[in-house]
Amino acid sequence: MFETIPLLPGVNLRCRRDTRFKHGCLSLHWVAAMHADTTAMNALIPSVLLRGTVPHPDLRAITARLDDLYGAAASPMSRRVGDYQASGLYLSFMDDRFALPGDRVLEGTVDFLAELLQSPLTEEAGFLPEYVQSEKKNLISTIQADRNDKRVYAMGRLLKILCREDSFGLPRLGEPEQVAAIAPDTLYRHFQQMLNAAPLEIFYVGSFESAAVADLLRGRLCLRGREAKLPPQTGFHGCPGEDVTETMEVTQGKLCMGFVTPITLKSELYPAMQVLNVLYGGGMTSKLFRNVREKLSLCYSVGSSYYSSKGILTVSAGIDFDKETPARREILGQLQLCREGAITQEELASAREALISSLRSVTDSAGSMESYGFIAALSGNTASPEEAIRAIRAVTLEQVVEAAKTVTLHSTYFLKGEPA
Amino acid sequence: MTETTYPQLDETVFRETLPCGLPLAVVPRQGFSKKLCYLAVDFGSVHRDFTLEGKSCHVPAGTAHYLEHKLFDMPDDRDVSAEFAALGANVNAFTSYDMTAYYFSCTENFSQCLRLLTEFVFTPWFTRESVEKERGIIDQEIGMNLDSPDSVIFDRLMESMFREHPIRIPILGTRESIREITPEVLETCHRAFYTPANCFLCVVGDVKPEEVVTEVRQVLGDAPRPLGRKHPLPEEEMTCPTARTHCAMDIAMPTFCLGFKCAPVGLGEAAIRQEMAADLAAEALFGESSELYLRLYQDGLIDSSFGGGYDCADGCAMLLCSGDSEDAPAIRQALLRQAQTLVEQGIPEDYFLRMKRSALGRRIKALDSFDSTCFRLCAYHFAKFDYFLFPAVYRDIRQEEVLDFLARTVTPERCALSVIEPISQDPPIENMEAAL
Repeated sequence: MFETIPLLPGVNLRCRRDTRFKHGCLSLHWVAAMHADTTAMNALIPSVLLRGTVPHPDLRAITARLDDLYGAAASPMSRRVGDYQASGLYLSFMDDRFALPGDRVLEGTVDFLAELLQSPLTEEAGFLPEYVQSEKKNLISTIQADRNDKRVYAMGRLLKILCREDSFGLPRLGEPEQVAAIAPDTLYRHFQQMLNAAPLEIFYVGSFESAAVADLLRGRLCLRGREAKLPPQTGFHGCPGEDVTETMEVTQGKLCMGFVTPITLKSELYPAMQVLNVLYGGGMTSKLFRNVREKLSLCYSVGSSYYSSKGILTVSAGIDFDKETPARREILGQLQLCREGAITQEELASAREALISSLRSVTDSAGSMESYGFIAALSGNTASPEEAIRAIRAVTLEQVVEAAKTVTLHSTYFLKGEPA
Repeated sequence: MTETTYPQLDETVFRETLPCGLPLAVVPRQGFSKKLCYLAVDFGSVHRDFTLEGKSCHVPAGTAHYLEHKLFDMPDDRDVSAEFAALGANVNAFTSYDMTAYYFSCTENFSQCLRLLTEFVFTPWFTRESVEKERGIIDQEIGMNLDSPDSVIFDRLMESMFREHPIRIPILGTRESIREITPEVLETCHRAFYTPANCFLCVVGDVKPEEVVTEVRQVLGDAPRPLGRKHPLPEEEMTCPTARTHCAMDIAMPTFCLGFKCAPVGLGEAAIRQEMAADLAAEALFGESSELYLRLYQDGLIDSSFGGGYDCADGCAMLLCSGDSEDAPAIRQALLRQAQTLVEQGIPEDYFLRMKRSALGRRIKALDSFDSTCFRLCAYHFAKFDYFLFPAVYRDIRQEEVLDFLARTVTPERCALSVIEPISQDPPIENMEAAL
């Protein structure tokens, strides 16, 4: 779905021309293996870049520049795709056809991207200490804010327990202590290293021809080629399971259960596993929602997620503190039913349709196309949405049962209230 | 159907009001797979007093939301969600202070989904047993909100800002108030407000507008139905009963939400104009392009979590901002001072024009989102304004309107502050702050 244009060795531009949208997007990421030493730095750099450049030295000037570009938005990015961390900037901007005659929004946006990358404010071979300092504080707040959403917090705790030996256990934004320890000059050096030596992925979705976008980027981004190689993506690195219960001052308990399966996005049974995840715990028609919530009123929220790069399936439920045992039993019971083939044709059809429908919608927004293409490029699963739809359509009940049989409980995490 | 084109936005809208009274709009989006349909009801959590068939009614807090949950029940044990799922569609709903909306998105089987949506929203079916069972689920939902700092801080702010307006009670109601909700209460509200003339149907996607009319007409028939009459919402004085409220929760950083009470806006273009002027005022006062934002950010009083804008619901309006901060009262002071400075000194004309251009561009960008477009068309329909006329409104707004809004609104007596402090600071976090 994307046309790939190698701008330079190690620097790929991936374009999708589409004239249906009123806005376009442009992203640039450097990609590295997720590593405890660099996660926090990679997560911090984009925010520091957005604080100021030589021509636009503070937030107000940066915002004014974006306002001039008809309210374009620039966001700091730090994404996880399997074992990789991709960090950089994502810009979205109004399509040129709505601008006043003579105004060129895409061109201005590319200029601005180049400026952010190539003219950051520096002091003594480091980023401006003041900006690094306050963005460190921001990032730490963002990391700690997970605690405010107990569902996110509990799931983060589960993944840390489950993935003690896996890159998936490393928090996407780093640990607060790691952020706190970053110095402006180290950060700047790391940025230069990434910008000049790491593989770069540039994505564009919008109304321009790919050749025109490539020309714009070539003319404005001063980059060099690089001999960059990423280690191959790996499957789940196992460890012994654990059941952890913690207390916090909360009204509602959060039960998270982590399962593992050898099925990943590279497996033949991958489409069947996706179908299983949806019919088991994906949405309002899933077994978990209809039974654990609707029939038994054991919880308010319940759902499952499948992390396909690693073969991890998680279930998260918001429950009363005293409902842990029945909820756990019922969540496992519903999985057992899947293993035994107690799946109706309606459940199977609904799950397939839900997946197909969301795949069909991928091309309905610039952002979802960028995101789909990005994950495809980095995960190695390059199936187009159409190919993925065909694979989902071909999934049989037997394959779903076979997939369910590979799923085993690994670890659980329960967050409950303080004893009165 | 009437067809209106909006060349500035590259949009076309087909509109019709059915004989039963249901107004509808279709925004064709050729070449897109997704089709989104909202059926919105001009009824939300603040509409608790009304007259139906000559009788005055008062319903418990949380009724509109409870009704939204229970409307998914159908006779003969039909499972609406499963029927949508079988069609490859997603169905969901939400309740706000002044609107309830049911919506589905699909890529295929649009006509069947449309019929199903219309059918279930206009089919009340409340058994005592299922209404009883729902109480547990909604009780859990309330519990979840009580653990969510964002909900708690906002609900407490509303309680501080308003004396009588029902916005002071959460949309979900309270654990006590939902106990009073019975099948009869739900039936009464359904009869009063779920009449076609009180609803609005909006479709965005690659569909045939005539088909929408035909399908919905077949389900609803042509007979109009009686409509309940909402009682006027209490008129509030432009002061806040409580200037400050705070509590402690298990959170990482102290967080705040600050509100300035505004006069309610009414309906039509004047109302939208006030809203857009207020948005510009918010941007000039504390937006990312403002002088104050930069100062507060550089002083470490706010961080990237800071943001805000203008918000309104039936019978009330407010300017809000929120974020994490160690010193929310200082932010309040700074806002009051800065508003005064802006009013006295004015806004440089080039800055004002740039703000307008940015606001316009952001609204045009947002039209790519089916959800945002559908939602706005519904909300503005009930506000009696054609949303797609927004570019002209922006063009016309003058700086004086923006400054006038600031002068009236950003004053100490209109302000309330809601703060949540962390219960305890873990020692490692303190050490880390020291390391910074």
